[in-house]
Amino acid sequence: MTLHDIAAFDDVETLHFNTDLPVTGGYTSDLLSDVMANAGEGCLLITIQAHNNTVAVAALAGAVGILVCNNRPVPDDMIESARREGIAVFRTSRNQFEASCMLGNRLGA
Amino acid sequence: MLADLHNHSCLSPCASLEMSPDLIAQTAAAKGIGLIALTDHNCTRNCPAFRDACKRYGLTPLFGMEVTTVEECHVLALFDDLDTAMEMNRWVAAAQPRLPLNLDYYSDQPVVDADDNIIELLTYFLGQATAHSIEAVGRQTRELGGLFIPSHINRHAFSVESQLGFLPPGDYDAIEVMPGTVDAYRRRYPDLAVITASDAHCPEQIGTWPFHLHLEGHDIASIRRGLRNLALSHLLSIP
Repeated sequence: MTLHDIAAFDDVETLHFNTDLPVTGGYTSDLLSDVMANAGEGCLLITIQAHNNTVAVAALAGAVGILVCNNRPVPDDMIESARREGIAVFRTSRNQFEASCMLGNRLGA
Repeated sequence: MLADLHNHSCLSPCASLEMSPDLIAQTAAAKGIGLIALTDHNCTRNCPAFRDACKRYGLTPLFGMEVTTVEECHVLALFDDLDTAMEMNRWVAAAQPRLPLNLDYYSDQPVVDADDNIIELLTYFLGQATAHSIEAVGRQTRELGGLFIPSHINRHAFSVESQLGFLPPGDYDAIEVMPGTVDAYRRRYPDLAVITASDAHCPEQIGTWPFHLHLEGHDIASIRRGLRNLALSHLLSIP
């Protein structure tokens, strides 16, 4: 699966997407310290934390994209940071559980 | 007196390396600050240098840190006594996971002396959340006689509002809010002292958002009384 497939999911809005990269798994968390310590390289970060620091932590953890749940507002500076860091940003009306199930089903997890 | 209770030195991984305790004290003094706190992320190791620097420029120092709670709320714990601040430091450090500092994203974390000499470089990431809850940090700060102030409570990240959605009941000496939101928060929390702080991470930010505090002395008890009087004056001024 790649970021392109995520962008094509039902009810997923693409807010920033530049380079298509493989998505090897998912990590669902709203605690950024937990993401930093435990998220895996190449994952899609599923979270409601929609701000600049989310991008910084995702970059540090090696995540390739962020899926913002519950249609949370995404500030412009978050997109700006994502562009700089080369991290895709998506948004969905699904909650974290539903979004995780969606990704897990497709990944066969 | 102008008070500024939230400042980061070069020890904080997200702060500029120019932020030596000496530069902070010198710049704050030049901007008319009288009471100033050093609050690095989860660490008080630059407080000894800060004490000497504040003495040099005639400032009243508070020694403390900005603790990251397990909920990822940032809260200030402030002390007028260096030894007590160091005791708090041991309690916090013992509960912080040792994640390596990634220098691609953060800067070095130097412990320095009052003359900007590097004494030690801390190699684990000081920003990582500790295992202490906000309630436990408040309790410990109180037991050690310190001031307990949640940082920038209405910021988009690492605040009680971003992490919990509300200010949990607690024994707060004040709440720090984002500049421009003081009046709204005075109305919302009429029994609390609502303050701003510079949260300085680089030299240009030093002394940018202090608040006025009437003090009869320079010890914690006087500062606590001053903050209580500040809350009371808010209460009396609300129509």
